[in-house]
Amino acid sequence: MELVQVGTERTYDAIRLKIVTLELAPGALINEQILAAELAMPLAPVREALKLLVHDNLVEVTSRHGLYVTDVNIPDLDQLSETRLTLEALSARLAALRASGDDRVVLTSLSQELAETPPDDNRRLLELDHRFHQAVAKAAHNKYLAEALERFFGLSQRLWYLALPRLGFLPSSVEEHLKLVEAIDRQDPARAAQLMHDHVAEFYANVRTVLNDQP
Amino acid sequence: MNKPSQPTLVLGIDTGGTYTDGVLLDYGSRRVLASHKSLTTKRDFAIGIEAVIDGIHIDDPSAIRMVSISTTLATNAIAEGKGKRVALFLIGYDPDLIASFKLEARFVTPLYFYFQGGHDLYGREQAELDLPAILGRVRELRDRVDAIAVSSYFSPLNPEHENRAYESIASVSDLPVVLGHKLSTRLGSVERATTAALNASLLAVLQDFILAVRRAMERRHIEAPLMVVRGDGTLMSDEFAARSPVETIHSGPAASAIGGRFLSRLDRMLVLDVGGTTTDIALIEDGQVTVSEEGATVSGYKTAVSAAHMLSIALGGDSHITYTREKRVAIGPERVMPLARLAAEYPAVGKQLQALRRRQWAQATPDWLEYWFLLREPSNESAIDTPQEKALVALLREGPRPLPEVVDHLQLLHAGQIGARELVRQEIVGKAGFTPTDLMHVEGKYALWNVAASEAALEVFSHYQFQEPDVVRRRIWAQINEMIVHAVLTFLSDKDFELPFGHRSPAAGEAADRSVEPRDRDIARWFFFNSLYQTHPHLETRFRLKVPVVGIGAPAQIMLARAAADLGTDLVLPEFHQVANAVGAIAGSVMVTEELLIYPRLDSAGLEVMAYYVQASDQRQEFEALAEAMAYARALSEERALGAAVRSGADNPQVTLTVTGDGLDTYRVRAKAIGNPRLAR
Repeated sequence: MELVQVGTERTYDAIRLKIVTLELAPGALINEQILAAELAMPLAPVREALKLLVHDNLVEVTSRHGLYVTDVNIPDLDQLSETRLTLEALSARLAALRASGDDRVVLTSLSQELAETPPDDNRRLLELDHRFHQAVAKAAHNKYLAEALERFFGLSQRLWYLALPRLGFLPSSVEEHLKLVEAIDRQDPARAAQLMHDHVAEFYANVRTVLNDQP
Repeated sequence: MNKPSQPTLVLGIDTGGTYTDGVLLDYGSRRVLASHKSLTTKRDFAIGIEAVIDGIHIDDPSAIRMVSISTTLATNAIAEGKGKRVALFLIGYDPDLIASFKLEARFVTPLYFYFQGGHDLYGREQAELDLPAILGRVRELRDRVDAIAVSSYFSPLNPEHENRAYESIASVSDLPVVLGHKLSTRLGSVERATTAALNASLLAVLQDFILAVRRAMERRHIEAPLMVVRGDGTLMSDEFAARSPVETIHSGPAASAIGGRFLSRLDRMLVLDVGGTTTDIALIEDGQVTVSEEGATVSGYKTAVSAAHMLSIALGGDSHITYTREKRVAIGPERVMPLARLAAEYPAVGKQLQALRRRQWAQATPDWLEYWFLLREPSNESAIDTPQEKALVALLREGPRPLPEVVDHLQLLHAGQIGARELVRQEIVGKAGFTPTDLMHVEGKYALWNVAASEAALEVFSHYQFQEPDVVRRRIWAQINEMIVHAVLTFLSDKDFELPFGHRSPAAGEAADRSVEPRDRDIARWFFFNSLYQTHPHLETRFRLKVPVVGIGAPAQIMLARAAADLGTDLVLPEFHQVANAVGAIAGSVMVTEELLIYPRLDSAGLEVMAYYVQASDQRQEFEALAEAMAYARALSEERALGAAVRSGADNPQVTLTVTGDGLDTYRVRAKAIGNPRLAR
């Protein structure tokens, strides 16, 4: 998004948050006019933002030309998890090999902030977890990888919110983040990849359990 | 090309201190097809703008091919401290130096922090960037500020530390980050910090505004590019403006000047825009608005942003005419609703003024000519707390009241105790009074509203000083004329001497720094009054302005005719001059400048030049010879300026290049790309 239309970025962030936090439920119909009125935005940036969200797989256009929030189902979850597991592990491996001094300062700062955040501040933890994965991807210095990961992240965040009532935030993951920063700092690609793999795998395992248990 | 039968419709909007004007213009023939005026709503400018867009009759909104807007929003937000909360990060600045010159007040925000880093005047890193400290501060401030401004020492020569700070801050937070080197390539570190902090505080304000205008356009089915006027009268795209709100400072007066030129088709002139609140002066030379050499100053903050060289005095058609404590007539600085208009809206006021006329002269004090009234009901978000504020609102709900009655009702001793500043600021309570507009009603020159009310007001005002209304009326006009001529002299000469009456405008205060010596004031004053009134029996003096005065605004004819004559020049009032400010919002060119710096890389001893750097905001190239560096800089700046101008909506932009030496073997290559705005379809 090099030349962002005024308001598109804002609108994108606002709608994306509504979707991942389930305020706009999976499968729900989207009405551009109502959404624009609700956000006090002109229609143009709302349309632009929805296009970006289609790209993120959070919104889909159906044959009847309606816009819907994408649905969540188990087969999708499996495909998503195997893709993300591989890419996130690759991202951590490359970050351990390539992180600059500034990248490390950022990662350290984020893990500190994560540790200081109260465990019940879900929205904040969700945001920090997102930033952390983004920062690792940035430290990997591979823009295609970073773009691909960013595209899938919204779907994962939404799963987290879906499972949250039964899951709670995983306190172990604060620990995991710290270990990961350590591995990147020590320039240990194998360990960084393993830690990231386990962190993401644990997340999907938990989500799968919760969703399978659902009536 | 368009056939003459098909007008090229563009919509220009100017939000002034009193009125928001809109014009529907045929771009080709320069004809104003429709115009509308609504009151400026300072609490939310978008309301007044929507009213203007709604009020202009447009047959086919889809035929509109561009909308452009000039706004005092930024200037007002700064003056009223309505900008957002900003943290200013200063990298490599010397805190002791700043403290010893007491420069902290210029940083706009109390939340400024020093960090290690920065570069020297050869672009060399003077200290390592302390990134952990910066991110630690961001974590701490996260919920206390709305934006972060970063300015690094000598960042125009080497923006590396600003860029690194930006990358890292953006990785850990959502706060918008403004970088000094992106706003100005001038080397003055304090002005750059001020500019960055102001820009950061205005980001959200201007973005909300642009979105509101876009919503209003959408409701009227206007699909066209939206442009915003810069402080030098040129145009920028709405997206550019949303990122550089600080560039809109002084865009209103600049637009007036551009409008004056566009309608008069002259290339040299002094433009005087007489509004309700102020009179703004700007100079057009070679068809361009003259730009201030120094950066624009706003509310006492010196910035690094270029803006029209202008002077604004607090004198307009709706200036409040009162007596000072010394019983001298004072005009302005406060703006009030003319009594003629209040009486037209509230017939009871007209009757009260007639009754006042019949009272004994000494009893009918001018205080009775000041009315307070309810502009709108306080909304939920407008916090009115004190019982006195509530009592005032309750009283005014019954209708406008003259000041002595308000004071009496609230059981106070004098008007100073009413303390309704917040209610006035929020436009809940309004004031009306005796104004130049009322004089125009008495004279029948401009009589939209209740003439009898104005006559009564003039009579009461005059009789209080035991004088005839005609005498007082002439005296007021003479005084208005003196203020205008004085402002023109101050503007052109950069010198100021105090008039024996009235107030100083904030802008004149600037000039006063370089004011005349006390011993010269006598002769300056003598020369001034002798030139206006030819008081000396043997020595005649006159002013002769070598350019015509172009008048803008509805009262221009009445308020400027005599001033132009006294200045020895012609008054030109082009057709549609009443709305030239809004015409000017749309008549400017789209301009983009790209500046690159060339400076030497020295050997480790700092004695020998090893190479030359060409520094752009995002890249640096090294060349062995200056000539190569110069050729590269010229090509790159031209290419970038062209590209940016096209992206900003310029049609077939033309580039001019200038190279200036900055001393120390440093050169500044500036490419300026200018073109007419590209219209939709």
